[in-house]
Amino acid sequence: MIIPIRCFACGKPVGHLLEEYQQRLEKGESAKKALDAVGLDRYCCRGVFLGHVELIDAAGEFKKG
Amino acid sequence: MKLEKIKEERKKNKLVFFIKDSDEVFANTLRRLVLEEVPTLAVEDLEIKDNNSALYDEMLGLRLGLLPLKTDLKSYTFKATCKCGGEGCARCELKINLKSSKKGYVYAEEAKSTDPKCTFVHEKMPVAKLLGKQKIDVQMTAVLGKGKNHSKWSPGFAFFKREPILNVGKVDDAESIAHLSSDGVFTIKGNKLSVNPEAVFDSQLLDYYVSLDKGITLEHTDNIIFSVESWGQLSCKEMLSTAMDIFIEKTEELEKLL
Repeated sequence: MIIPIRCFACGKPVGHLLEEYQQRLEKGESAKKALDAVGLDRYCCRGVFLGHVELIDAAGEFKKG
Repeated sequence: MKLEKIKEERKKNKLVFFIKDSDEVFANTLRRLVLEEVPTLAVEDLEIKDNNSALYDEMLGLRLGLLPLKTDLKSYTFKATCKCGGEGCARCELKINLKSSKKGYVYAEEAKSTDPKCTFVHEKMPVAKLLGKQKIDVQMTAVLGKGKNHSKWSPGFAFFKREPILNVGKVDDAESIAHLSSDGVFTIKGNKLSVNPEAVFDSQLLDYYVSLDKGITLEHTDNIIFSVESWGQLSCKEMLSTAMDIFIEKTEELEKLL
């Protein structure tokens, strides 16, 4: 849906890192390099980013004011 | 007991240090105090005036609660022990307003806090995403709380391990071991393996290296490597010092009761 505020397992705030991560992926960096650069060391936080699918726009279409 | 700093990463809000001449009991006490007892501010109550974003009210509320808030421990007290008697005053409550009708992400920086010192830590944290004609208008109340009641009040992360020492004797195939060492513990010099002592502290693969060759053995000393990571509400030093203040308070209380 939308990027979680915190990592599910360890509680580290991760949401604000998504934009930089996606910019790095667009530049052609590998996911490993991008995750390291963004500062996600533990595999719990890395999993949050690797498995994330942004579906908020699609869901928003069904709830118009 | 002796303390010795190993490294401090200001950018990542991390602090790693040795605890020498002590034991796991003390280290675990400190860990649990940091995780469960050190108070921080977090959004607890909210009044939703308007929300027709894709996120339900409950989801929005949960997300707002999880946002870390810069905490000034000197100017806030617990609601239960406040002079106002739990009614809510400027010393135990923090009011924050978030109103947005712009298309795109709603960031935490758009929230207006009544206390300029206590704002959301991460300015670019996405709270919700709005399409055209959608809007949110929320009035939040943040209070001081403890991590044992909800992890949103946890100031960070703390963990420890015993100091590992990796001994390398005669090795059959130095080259392949150096190749398998993905975290930089081993480098090859000439025909011999050399160990990078700094990488040993961070390595998660030490048991694996021991299984590779009989010449490699692993020992643990009595020194404890203690790591603290802050989520931004408090600095690492503040976390540790308030944890120890709470510890002293608790022991004094115990003394009185005995």
